[in-house]
Amino acid sequence: MKIKASKPTIVEADMTPMIDMTFQLIAFFMMVSNLEQTQADERVKLPADRLARPPEGPREDEVVLNVGFIRNKQGEKADPEAYVFFGGEDNIPVLKCGPRLKREYDVATRREGEKAAQDMTVVIRADADVPTGLVQELIKMGQEQKFSKFSLKAKSGENED
Amino acid sequence: MKIRRKDDGGGKVDVQMAPMIDIVFQLLIFFMLTLKILAPEGDFNINMPLGAVGDPNPDITPPTNLDVVLTANDDGTLRQVSLGGRPLGNNFPSCFQTLNQEIEIAVRDSRKFSEDLEVTLTPDYNLHHRYTVAAISACRGKVGPDGRTITFVEKIKFSNIQRPE
Repeated sequence: MKIKASKPTIVEADMTPMIDMTFQLIAFFMMVSNLEQTQADERVKLPADRLARPPEGPREDEVVLNVGFIRNKQGEKADPEAYVFFGGEDNIPVLKCGPRLKREYDVATRREGEKAAQDMTVVIRADADVPTGLVQELIKMGQEQKFSKFSLKAKSGENED
Repeated sequence: MKIRRKDDGGGKVDVQMAPMIDIVFQLLIFFMLTLKILAPEGDFNINMPLGAVGDPNPDITPPTNLDVVLTANDDGTLRQVSLGGRPLGNNFPSCFQTLNQEIEIAVRDSRKFSEDLEVTLTPDYNLHHRYTVAAISACRGKVGPDGRTITFVEKIKFSNIQRPE
């Protein structure tokens, strides 16, 4: 019996479905990833509220103040004093951040002009446990630096029990 | 000269897929790692009167002004919510649902547009911020059955700061 010598076979996998799926995954992640520079600070545990809906359009100019506590890994307060977090280790006690707000106002005035600086919204992202009096003190310090618009942030969701 | 016909396999061009797949996977991994799932946030506009710290004079309160007072225990928890001097309890969050209903009735009774109404919030200094946000939300409006926000009062302001003595 004659045995035919068979050629070495090369199995060519069909790559098209895999590439299709990979492109779809890339498109999905590109759409859901937020590449905007958010000024949120993860140390701040915002209160949740049903009526807190994201604004329809982004604000042109705003000053974001993250107010919260320095917490340990278990989430307990390591320091009873509330701070304004300006990124990294730049934490200023709430009652001492008047000069910092003045600097923010001066920078905004130089960049945008005085009218635009006064119309900037000061967005206060305050931790749910921060005393309301400190939030009011912050608003008052902002008013002393001629800011006129203030808003309080809350995360969307069911009200806390 | 005799030209040899070169057998090029019927004109089939083999595209190198490996570099493209490498890059595509790198992009995929980049977007997967940079993905940060954040809860959507909303905000409540708030005003505060300019001027010296002091008790607001009830004689000059306009009739369309609704006063909400939030008192706190020593640990910052809610002691009492009151609307126009009437206590609404301290059972969080049901007292804020009561406040929401009372504000809705007040808006309906005033027979005016909600823009004409103003709520003045007077929270204790040490009251936790979560209760203040709940009070602002209760005064601002409610979520309708279709999921849209029904606004009761647009103008909400803080009273002067109630510093502890």
